[in-house]
Amino acid sequence: MNDKTRTSKYRPIRFFTLLCATLLIIAVPILNNRFQFTFIQGWYQSISIGNLWFVSPLEGLESILTSRMLYGPLLVGMAIPVLVAFLLGRVFCAWICPISFLSEVTDWLIRILSRKKYRKTRIMFPRRMLWASLVCEIALAMIAGVPIFVFLSPPGLVGRELMMVILFKTVAVEGVIVLAVMTMHLLSPRLFCRHLCPLGGLLGCIGAKRRLYVEFNVENCLKCGICSKACPLALDPKNGQASSAYCWNCGDCIDSCKTEALSFKWREIKVHHENTNP
Amino acid sequence: MERREFLKGLILPIAAAALPVSPARAGLFQSPIKTNVLRPPGAVPENIFASKCIRCGRCAEVCPYRSIVPRDFLETGVNAGTPLIDVTKVPCYLCMKCVEVCPTGTLRPIAQQETRMGLAVIDRYACMTWQEGEFMLCRTCYNVCPFKEKAIKLDELRPVIIEEYCTGCGLCTHGCPVTLENGKKAVNIEPIYAFGKVRKE
Repeated sequence: MNDKTRTSKYRPIRFFTLLCATLLIIAVPILNNRFQFTFIQGWYQSISIGNLWFVSPLEGLESILTSRMLYGPLLVGMAIPVLVAFLLGRVFCAWICPISFLSEVTDWLIRILSRKKYRKTRIMFPRRMLWASLVCEIALAMIAGVPIFVFLSPPGLVGRELMMVILFKTVAVEGVIVLAVMTMHLLSPRLFCRHLCPLGGLLGCIGAKRRLYVEFNVENCLKCGICSKACPLALDPKNGQASSAYCWNCGDCIDSCKTEALSFKWREIKVHHENTNP
Repeated sequence: MERREFLKGLILPIAAAALPVSPARAGLFQSPIKTNVLRPPGAVPENIFASKCIRCGRCAEVCPYRSIVPRDFLETGVNAGTPLIDVTKVPCYLCMKCVEVCPTGTLRPIAQQETRMGLAVIDRYACMTWQEGEFMLCRTCYNVCPFKEKAIKLDELRPVIIEEYCTGCGLCTHGCPVTLENGKKAVNIEPIYAFGKVRKE
């Protein structure tokens, strides 16, 4: 068994990662503007570190679908994010996405003001809406012939707004979408992330059979229900929902559980030997 | 093709109704490319530019002169966030950094002299050297051209553009001391290559 203490294990690390990921997209344009620093470039639509390029799978996919052309470097750029999503699931959403960072900060402020540990999920639609959102988004982009929703993908939009402010001293009007997403978050936690984010939908879809998942151990469970309160997506880990395609592996439920009923597990592929972890 | 136009026609009024007036008037799907407003070097033709570009802004970020400026939705509709160069503000110095960083191949890697952002066209009604009567000496466009004696030559002290070699970088337009009432210069870059069909490679 793992040596789990009472204190939060993953939450501080995750918050630190989110903070770094957000500081990165603020620092890079500033460094670029001041010192012509181009070693690291871009934001979460496409980012490059030296010669290592990443392209957001959704934007890349839409570019391919609407222009009906394949471009080798684009596929290579998409490969790593797709692989990460395939193995680890929607980890981008929980550990990197700047919208997630803003939401976490908002939640933290609300927690201080209301003196309640968890926020209640007031608005809840069927979870399948996330897939519908992804399908609608791609369908609309293909009908219109332009990736209209490329600039409706909020993580990329935050980066572009930051660039516009830092490099060109203006703001783009698309920034209102970020405000809209944050308003939705104020109405009900992660409303956009849960039901509407096409990027989240795509990553969830790719990571449906992910290797890293939250395992639920029935024997240790007291059915106290604190994990479902802690889950930012309002999933119910004690009923096995933490291993569903909707989970983004943030580890908040693991931190909340007092009896170690939940833990991260690496799903082994079944080869000839049936030697899974006890 | 017809069906696509039809569907576009269906979506356009719905989208236009839902949005403020300006994008509808500017043409939600219309290309923002016009005289002196150009795409960066190596750009694919306009008919696929908006669909291929993912608006990641890396070309704008890498551009050391800030020639490339993305514009927002109110100005350019669905082309919001795509790279544009207004050569009357900051022309392209052909450093060719943007074509290296484009992750989608919307800007394809090409050589400096192969760039065809447009073609410089001298307005002989406006250019000082072409006026009848008082002859004025001005060779700003000739002096600033990066391909002097190739893309631009002086014919009896008057500038003449050689179409074959002009890259359309806009340095001449930017340098031109004559500004007309409509904002145009005496030498303007016409984006004559931007609306061609996709070239098969």
